[in-house]
Formats: sequence, C-alpha cells, structure tokens
Amino acid sequence: MTNNIAVGTPATNNDLLERNNNILDWLSQSGIFVFTFVLILVASVAIDGFASLANITDVFNRAAPIGIVAVGMTFVVISANYLDLSVVAQVATAAVVLIGMSNEYNIIAAFALAMLIAFAYGLVNGLAVGVFKANAVIVTLATTFIGLGLLRWLTGGSIYFGPPESLIRSFGTTKIGPFPLSMLVLIIMALLLSLVLTRTNFGFLVRSYGSNRDATRLAGVNTALVVIGAFMISSFGAMIGGFVLAAFSNTAVSSMSTGYDFEALAAIIVGGTSVFGGRGSVMRTVLGVVFVSVLTNIMVLSGLGFGYQQMAIGSLIVAAVAIDALARKATAL
Amino acid sequence: MTALKSPIKKPNVASQGGLAGFGRQFRTVMARRTEGRALALLLVVGIIAAIFEPLVFTSYSATLGRIALIGLVALGLAAVILMGELDLSVASTLAVAGVVMASIDSLPLGIAAALLVGLVIGVVNAFFVMGFGINSFIATLGMLFFLRGSAFVLSGEEPVRLTNRDAGIAFGKPLIGPLTPRMLLFILAFIILQVFVTRVRIGREFYAVGGNREAALDAGIPVTRRIFTGFMISGFVAALAGVINTLERTAADPTAGSTVLLASFAAAIIGGVLLTGGRGSIFGTLLGATSLGILQVALTLSGVQVDVQNIVIGLVLLIAVITDPNSLRAVAGSARSFLQRRSRSQAGG
Repeated sequence: MTNNIAVGTPATNNDLLERNNNILDWLSQSGIFVFTFVLILVASVAIDGFASLANITDVFNRAAPIGIVAVGMTFVVISANYLDLSVVAQVATAAVVLIGMSNEYNIIAAFALAMLIAFAYGLVNGLAVGVFKANAVIVTLATTFIGLGLLRWLTGGSIYFGPPESLIRSFGTTKIGPFPLSMLVLIIMALLLSLVLTRTNFGFLVRSYGSNRDATRLAGVNTALVVIGAFMISSFGAMIGGFVLAAFSNTAVSSMSTGYDFEALAAIIVGGTSVFGGRGSVMRTVLGVVFVSVLTNIMVLSGLGFGYQQMAIGSLIVAAVAIDALARKATAL
Repeated sequence: MTALKSPIKKPNVASQGGLAGFGRQFRTVMARRTEGRALALLLVVGIIAAIFEPLVFTSYSATLGRIALIGLVALGLAAVILMGELDLSVASTLAVAGVVMASIDSLPLGIAAALLVGLVIGVVNAFFVMGFGINSFIATLGMLFFLRGSAFVLSGEEPVRLTNRDAGIAFGKPLIGPLTPRMLLFILAFIILQVFVTRVRIGREFYAVGGNREAALDAGIPVTRRIFTGFMISGFVAALAGVINTLERTAADPTAGSTVLLASFAAAIIGGVLLTGGRGSIFGTLLGATSLGILQVALTLSGVQVDVQNIVIGLVLLIAVITDPNSLRAVAGSARSFLQRRSRSQAGG
C-alpha cells in the first residue's frame, strides 16, 4: 500500500481512497458471508413457508446438483477461462445415460459410459482452449450445441423414467434430517476439490496460470495440460451433478439442466472467485450456491417465474463482477 | 503496397515487373485478406448443395431470407469483434426488441421503441465494459441472461401477436424483383457498414482500437467513444433483425434467436474476424453468412432435424474458432517446442 501513495495527493484523498478500496475489497472477498446470512434471515421472517422443513429440504435438493457443477467449474473460472457453458449439455447427458443405461443394462455400464462421455467433453474443451488457444466461451458454446443436439437426436427428445424401486431411487430419497444424501455428495466433492486446489501441485498451477499465463508458461509448465485438467474437473463435476439430479427426480430428459450454466457461474462469482482468474476458493463457491439457491427459492415462493429469475441472476452476475472489477482497479491505482 | 509492407527486403520487386514480381505482389495481397476460410466453406457448401439439393438455389427467396437473418446479426457483431470485444447479448436483444415492438399498438412507434431498446442495450453493455472494466464476455453474458428473462417477463412467456398484421404481410412481399424488404435492408446494412469500416475515419479507427488499444490511445483515438459506437451498432443491428423477424412472422417470440446466436458467431468468425480484434472484414462476414445460410437451408430442405442442424453448425463454429491464424500459430509453436524438447532429451540420453 505504501508505494501506492502518489506524490502531491492530499492525505485525506488517499485515506478516502484506501477506505473505499477496503470496502470494495471486503465486498468482493467476504461480502457473501453477510449477504447469505441477511438473505436467509429476511426470508425466514418475511416469506411464509420459507423456514418450513419441507422447503429447506427442497432448497437443498435443488442446490446440491448446481453446487456440484459449480465446484467443478470453479477450476475453469480460476484458470481465467471465463466459464464452461457446456455443463448444460453434460449434466443432461449424464442424467439420461444413468437412467437410460441402467434401465437397459446395469448401473456399472451406465457409470462407465458417463465417465467416457465426461472425459471426451473435458478433452475436447481442454484441447480447443489449451492447445489451440481458442476462446473458452465460444468453444463451450459450440460444444453445448453439439452435445445437446447429439443427445436430443439420439434420444428423440424422450423422457426416461427410472424404476420405482432401485438403487438410484433410494439414493435420491434418503435423507439425514433435512439433508438429502446429495448434499453429502456436494460436501465430499467440495472438500476433495478444495484439497486439490489448495494442496496439490496441479491446483497451484491452475491458480498460477489464472493469474499470469505467460509467466507460468515461461517457467516451463506445460500449460496445455493445466487447461485440459481444469476442463476435465469441470466435466467430472457436471457428470456427478447429472447423477445426483437424475437420482433426485428419477427421470431424465435433455432439457432438465436448463439454466445450470449461469446459476453455477453466478454461484462461483458471488462466492468471490474472480472472473479475472487466479483468485478463488471452492468452499466459497458452496456458499455462493446457497445464496443463489435461497434467492431463487424466495422468488419461486413469491410467485416470480423463470423470466424474473433469469433477470435477477443476470444482474447478480454483472453486479458481482462489477464490484470485483472496481476492487481490482482500486488496488491497481 | 508491397513496398510499404517490406521496405527493407526488396523494395523494387514490384516495379521490376515480370511474373515473379506479380506473383509476389499477388501473394502479399492474398496474405492480407482474411476471407480465405469463408470462401473455402462457401465453395464446399455451394458445390455439395448444388449436387445434392439444387432446390437451395431454385428456391432462392428462402435461402436469401435465411442469409439475411444470420448476416444482419453477424454484421453488427463484426463491428464489435473488430475492436477485440464480444457481444453475446445480440440474440436476446433480438428477442426483446421483437417483444417490445409487438406490445406497442402503433407500428411506427413500436419500431422506433424497439430500435431505441437496441441502442440502449448497446450503451449499457459498453458502459459495463468501459466504465467498470468488466470483460465484455462476462458483461454481455450477464446481459444475455437478463434480457432473455426480460423477454419472458414482458411477453408473459408466450408469443405476442402484432396488432397490425397487414403491415407484416406487406413486408414479406418482394419489392424490387425477387428482393423482399428484409433483403434490401440487409444489403443496405452491409453497404453502410462496409463503407463505414473501410472509408470513414471513425470506422477505420475500429481496426486500430482492436489491433493495439494502447497505441490507439497514444495516437489520440478516443477509444472509449469508439467502443460505445461499436456496441451501439451491434445493439441497433440486432434490434433491427428483431423488428424484421417480428414483421415477417407477424408475432414476436420471446425464445427467438437461440440458433441465430450460434450461426451469426460462426459467420463472423469463419469470415475471418479475429476474436482478439484488429483484423477481419465485413465482406468476409457476408461470405460466412452466405455459406451458413446455404448450409442451413440445404439441411432443412433435405429433411434433416433441427437437432442435427445444431450439431453441424456447432461443429462449423468449433472448427472456425480453432483454425483462426492465432490458434494455428499457437499449435505450431507448441508442436515445435515439443519436438525440440524431445530431440534434446534424446541427445541428452
């Protein structure tokens, strides 16, 4: 901070600047804790039926698959590749494969095929972005359309129903208190990926690539592998998210994951992971997911439809990034 | 031209005359063009369509209409991409403009309001990008969701009928020869933009802003104002596409434009507009839009499902974005360093 003080600027101005900058920095870093708390507090007081056990379980059921997708996608965002739009296609594909294949053959075959598909998605996205240095938004937009097109074409757009009694069904309905089992999966995934991000060499390289890709490359790191790895993790998260979603609803259809791309992105950004790359945390993404899910739940309870939810989440993304950008500008002064 | 580009090497090659000199000059001119891939795609698509589905060319009014729809949005996009920014919100702008227009009873007022909405969206996008310093990919992505939501909310989640149906029907009729007003508007937009970026100073400065923003600032180009202009162009043109769409269908669909987004990006990128900015041409975008339009209509006429069409256009976009000159250079570079590393490790071991 000391070397930021410009010669000749009045001290009061500087103090103001610093305070301003501190507020912005705090907002972008830790504001989410307070916002989530306040939102839950206000909702439980003002909205009828929010604090009921059934509704809380419902929030968790909705939040878990989005959260699992978001913790995986966090790696892509931290590596400064904006986002992985293709999670929409991947979640739906994994869900359809799980229900459809376990109906036809068995659940092991379903897992194997879903793994293979997730691997292919991660590889194609990662190669195009990491090796060909193409823009991640455009690449994943293209793979979304290819993937959803393939899925709809092969399934004929039909809905797959799981049998009323099965392993998948019992997983989806088991609860520990108000927590569905899917929430446990989210917590395990978050802990695991948090360890990968903070304690492993690969996690360090993802963060380093996100904050300065040229320096990372010049240090002799194979940056293509880092990017491919980040997209692989995103694909893995999307696959598990798809499984959980399929288990919860015990049905699968190609349109079931509409909106997962931006809800996951909103959760990541609101959680304080920077879209400018290099800075972020998996655990805070989980908090962001809680925030976004509570927000959509409040809107649903207040009778505001899909359109309003999209408007709210779109503005949330822009507002969160604006605060982050302003905080960065202030520290760069 | 040759002399200007490489004055040190052989300044007099062109004036020496002869076939070699002409060949060199020709090659230099060709190397500066960015439309190569679009031309290649157009040839491939054109030939395949001519053999398997000649209906594409005989029922050219449908083909031209499709080209005009993709092309109009792509033209506006090209103006923004030239400056190294991106406008992902164009497709939702199209939808919102259509809904706004259809919900106002008076037709001229509706059209004016819709175009105004486009301009305002452009200003807001540019404000987020320049005022806050948000990356345009993220800012316009947020805008995309916001506008898609607004279109749903404004329309009550169902298509809005146009009050003045007759105007819509009249709009679909050919005006000059086989050209409907939609195509005439598209041609007009193409000519205006082509002249704007090649002959008008403000437009030419778009290339400077995209090529090297710092240098452009130092050269005294008002970068912020140019970027505002660019986003306003793309918003306006997308709104215009929404107006035309609504007039032709006599109703506004809040979900309109999701395929258009993909196709128009593919058109602009395959037309040689570099995503990092500074290179590209409006003419290339036209070629790209033409080839994609022919492709889409050919697939529709051969009875291919919409899902498969999406796969094909997605593949075209993916291939377009990984074969642009920057990507190929990156691949060549990493291949070279990989080979070097291998030969070095072999020599060492």
